[in-house]
Amino acid sequence: MSFFDLKGTVKPLTALKQFGKKPHTISYPKESKEAADRYRGFHYNDIEECIGCGNCSTICQNAAIDMIHIEGVEGKKGDSGLRPRIDHGRCCWCALCVEVCPTGSLSLTKDYLYVSDDPDSFLWTPGVDNPEGKDKISFYTTNEISLNDFKRIPMPELEGMERVKSFAEVVLGYNEEQARAEASRCISCGLCTEACPEHMHIPEYINAIATGNDADAVRIIYDNNPLPEMCGKVCTRRCEDVCAIAVRGEPIAIRWLKRYATETALTSEITREIVNPEIKEANGKSVGIIGAGPSGLTAGYYLALRGYDVTIYEANAKAGGATMYGIPKYRFPIDSLDKQIEYIQSIGVKIHFNTKVGKDISFKEIYDKFDVVFMGVGFPDAWSLGVDGEDAKGSMQAFRFLHMVNSGEKVDIGDKVVVVGGGNVAIDAARVSRRLGAEVTILYRRRVEDMPADWEEIEGAEDEGVHIVPQGIPIKVHKDEKGHVKSVEYLKAEMVPDERGGRPKPVAIEGSNTIIEATSVMAAIGQMGDYSFLGKEFEDKIKIERGRFVVNDKQQTTDPKVFAGGDAVNRTADAISAIADGFKACKAIDEMLSKDKN
Amino acid sequence: MKKYLILQKNIQDKMREKATTLYLGPQHPGITGNMMVRLKVEGDTIVKATTEVGYLHRAFEKLQEKRNWLQSFTLLCRFCVPEPDPVEESYARAVELLEGREVPERAKYIRVLMLELARLGSYMLWYGGQNGSLGLYTMGQWSVGDRNYILDLFEELTGGRIYHMYIWPGGVRRDFPEGFEDKVLRTMDYLEKRVKDYDDLMFDNAIFQKRTQGVGIIPKEKAVEWGVVGPVLRGCGIRSDIRIDDPYEVYDKLDFEVPTAEGGDIWARALVRRQEVRQSIKIIRQVIEKIPSGDYYNPIPNPQKWTLPKGDAYARTEAVRGEVGIFIASDGGTKPRRVHFRGAAYVHGITLLENLLVGENVADVSAIMNSLGTCPPEIER
Amino acid sequence: MDELKTKIIERIKANFQDATENNSFNYNRLDFNVNKTTVPSILFYLKDEMGFKHLSHITCVDWLEEGELELIFIVWSPVDKIKVFVRTRLDRENPVMDNIDMIWRQAHTYEREFREMFGIQFTGLEAPQDFLLEDWDGPPPMRRDFHTEEYASETFFERPGREDAGDVREEIIKRSGEEIPDFAKKYSR
Repeated sequence: MSFFDLKGTVKPLTALKQFGKKPHTISYPKESKEAADRYRGFHYNDIEECIGCGNCSTICQNAAIDMIHIEGVEGKKGDSGLRPRIDHGRCCWCALCVEVCPTGSLSLTKDYLYVSDDPDSFLWTPGVDNPEGKDKISFYTTNEISLNDFKRIPMPELEGMERVKSFAEVVLGYNEEQARAEASRCISCGLCTEACPEHMHIPEYINAIATGNDADAVRIIYDNNPLPEMCGKVCTRRCEDVCAIAVRGEPIAIRWLKRYATETALTSEITREIVNPEIKEANGKSVGIIGAGPSGLTAGYYLALRGYDVTIYEANAKAGGATMYGIPKYRFPIDSLDKQIEYIQSIGVKIHFNTKVGKDISFKEIYDKFDVVFMGVGFPDAWSLGVDGEDAKGSMQAFRFLHMVNSGEKVDIGDKVVVVGGGNVAIDAARVSRRLGAEVTILYRRRVEDMPADWEEIEGAEDEGVHIVPQGIPIKVHKDEKGHVKSVEYLKAEMVPDERGGRPKPVAIEGSNTIIEATSVMAAIGQMGDYSFLGKEFEDKIKIERGRFVVNDKQQTTDPKVFAGGDAVNRTADAISAIADGFKACKAIDEMLSKDKN
Repeated sequence: MKKYLILQKNIQDKMREKATTLYLGPQHPGITGNMMVRLKVEGDTIVKATTEVGYLHRAFEKLQEKRNWLQSFTLLCRFCVPEPDPVEESYARAVELLEGREVPERAKYIRVLMLELARLGSYMLWYGGQNGSLGLYTMGQWSVGDRNYILDLFEELTGGRIYHMYIWPGGVRRDFPEGFEDKVLRTMDYLEKRVKDYDDLMFDNAIFQKRTQGVGIIPKEKAVEWGVVGPVLRGCGIRSDIRIDDPYEVYDKLDFEVPTAEGGDIWARALVRRQEVRQSIKIIRQVIEKIPSGDYYNPIPNPQKWTLPKGDAYARTEAVRGEVGIFIASDGGTKPRRVHFRGAAYVHGITLLENLLVGENVADVSAIMNSLGTCPPEIER
Repeated sequence: MDELKTKIIERIKANFQDATENNSFNYNRLDFNVNKTTVPSILFYLKDEMGFKHLSHITCVDWLEEGELELIFIVWSPVDKIKVFVRTRLDRENPVMDNIDMIWRQAHTYEREFREMFGIQFTGLEAPQDFLLEDWDGPPPMRRDFHTEEYASETFFERPGREDAGDVREEIIKRSGEEIPDFAKKYSR
């Protein structure tokens, strides 16, 4: 190459052809660029939609997100009351917080310009400090592209028509792999624990299952629930209603996971080995418990662990109360209950079966014998329909029917059964009748979606061929010449919106009389208490209002020595509330008696 | 005359004794980032070069051990700013290798598109850096301006201009927005026109030729052994490219050439890169043509509880600087046991550079560094 | 590929008795576990006799619970297109390893880094003590028992203004009165 390279000198001068061309980076007057439709700019949070689960704050790898109280947002069940605040000095706009937001309330906007010389002004609560961001949302998630897994692992079940042949358990339970996968969906926010009456440590045991530590899961579960296998099978699971994932998808199967964990302990001995509870030395105090239902057993178990001498009096031949006699065996097999009762007995809880208080032993005797009495007596009676012809043969209470079937008695129901009601008892009675070989119709006053029963139970009943007649109000039971049920007459109803904002009311349509043939009729419209066992002396001392004991927040009745819990106290009338009552009473009793000692 | 010669010899001897130490960096725009090269010079000839790093250490790998498998991925793009995507892709692929996770075909094509766009973007910066180090600033203004069009594409597709955080385990984060393919093709048409202008301004420029030819020569027979990779190795006349040798994503289904050039000097490396820009445009056109429809993402489980099986994996990608790889080790938990990044600059910027600078002129140091693709943030992580 | 792997395994095992292979990968990768004293010779052999010319990566993993540090050398053969991982374990208390920077010069950099970050001593390594860190006299920071968060909170201070941050789980516990037993707390978020 010569020193003077002509081509190499002249060629670059072609750059001159760019002279006068419009510049492509800077425009005058200066204007900021409109960001792309998917731009990841400042955050925007829909405060109304947000439930304060804090998943954004957990995923943020820069620790830029704080959960704070803001004005105008109160915590409630299913909402922690906290909202995210973002430190934009730390944020790296990776938008993982958006991808993991279970409600989809958090998103990023097109805004990207903010200048301030006050470093503290970079702390923003999105949605509160930038309400205008709502119209500029650019980066958001849909159900499809969310990092949350909105699909539940399906629970293996017996097929509908296979089920009605026997009382075999319908739900088969998760296997290990399914349980791990289902547990892995949980985001551990803990919103569920507030909805649980007993405040079980749900995120903790689910996490233990997800990480493969089933034994730890069992131990966590037994921390405040001595009947978890029962809950794992038949709990009303309010926890799942407020699950953060349920906002846009199917809630975590909390109940099935508890069931999985407890079923890993096959017998009561294994349970004892895993839980390995610390039993305190006997402290010489004694507690008498009436009724071996969930509340009585719970109070008994935890009091026994704390060193109390616990004796339970149970009227029936088996413990479990309504969970033993009210719940059909295809939902809650007897072995499973026996295992848990055995475990509770192994801790030192004494149970006297077939001992009805008021008949076999007087309430006064118990009252005098023990330092404290706990009553978990439940609702042994049921409401009647209150229509003509109810006295016919074959007309019965669904609750009694279930009791008889569960105690192994033979019940003649014929081949056409009409169940009146829409709660879990109605569905249970209907499904049991199907298993006894009858055609079953459920008559309910409101719409199917208004039924208080579990949606899974309703679906299960439909799968098994139960016919549901919604919006039907029974008015008469017709008898044949032998005084036996022949048919049921009902009026169709229309739903009238409630002016006071309650749920719509069914109003019968005149002249819409319809008749269904039936061989038996079952009423499942509610139960009530029977407090005659108290005897005259105590009926005055222990206050009862609207069919329930009056208790303070420590489950203490108006007689300070007597505590009560379960259906006879709370309005929710489910097992987990009863357990919660029992646990609360246990703590209060312990507090009271240990104070006496000093 | 004899006296004069003796005097001259004396002066030269004195100068040789008085070797000076020059500190190049750590904060000089001519150098590729915050690192320092300590030069021992005699006259203006380098006799010894030592790389001093440690100005940019951010302990990313340590931080990743404290984050879960998904959170770690947002740190990756910060390993090397000019070209973050190959790192993301390596990590995603390492995780997929370890877990055995399938990636949808469409996602693979999108990843290739991302990688090639990133390559183009990075080469645009290199045009600027390489010429800037020789005093030819116009080129940098042009290419960095044109790079903005690529960044616009990134913004459309990923929502971010520089840090995309787009390629994650299982696929990519979002599908193409509407009309994106056309925009890509229009940008490619534009760039193809522009690279001709670049040739006029840069490769035909006498200054560029004279400053680069015969400077920073890497001997061909030593190149592989010295750990030279990428365009630098191809500039030694060795045809080596991970996209061909150890194909990943869908590179084995695409038709492209691996350009090489003989000589092993800056000029040869520049020639290789000049061709590669054209090959990248060709690949991008093919991707747009061949991309199948379907899923773009195989969803990972809930990131908080996502565990990877015990074991390890190493995935590597051909980046502009050369071989970029991620090694991950899992103990079966929700967080990595170890993430270790392998960057080309780790080798090029230290042992190779120290070797290469001996005997070179002080004025050529930053040109050589730029031609090797030295990237201090990548060395230190 | 399987044929090639079998051939490599045969050759390596014939020359290095202590090498145990792991051939469970369905892609072009092959692992060998060796004693640390064998590492230089096996690497020499791979490079000079078997065409594994390119040193792709060296990495170190701290297995704190097992009390060992694992060194992994990843070499690549441009001819056979296969990666070989040579793995060895060092005692965590006294990690000493032979210097291999005469085989590949770039190993020098890795060794400097591992000396600083993991505390591995490479016999015969000639390099200044400091690499990335400056005047560091704490424990080797990449070891698992060095906790960055603790170090950061001891060394730096938090910028005020974020003390009102709450925790969702604690907020709910406060409202519901739930009592989490201590052994369960490790499973909380």
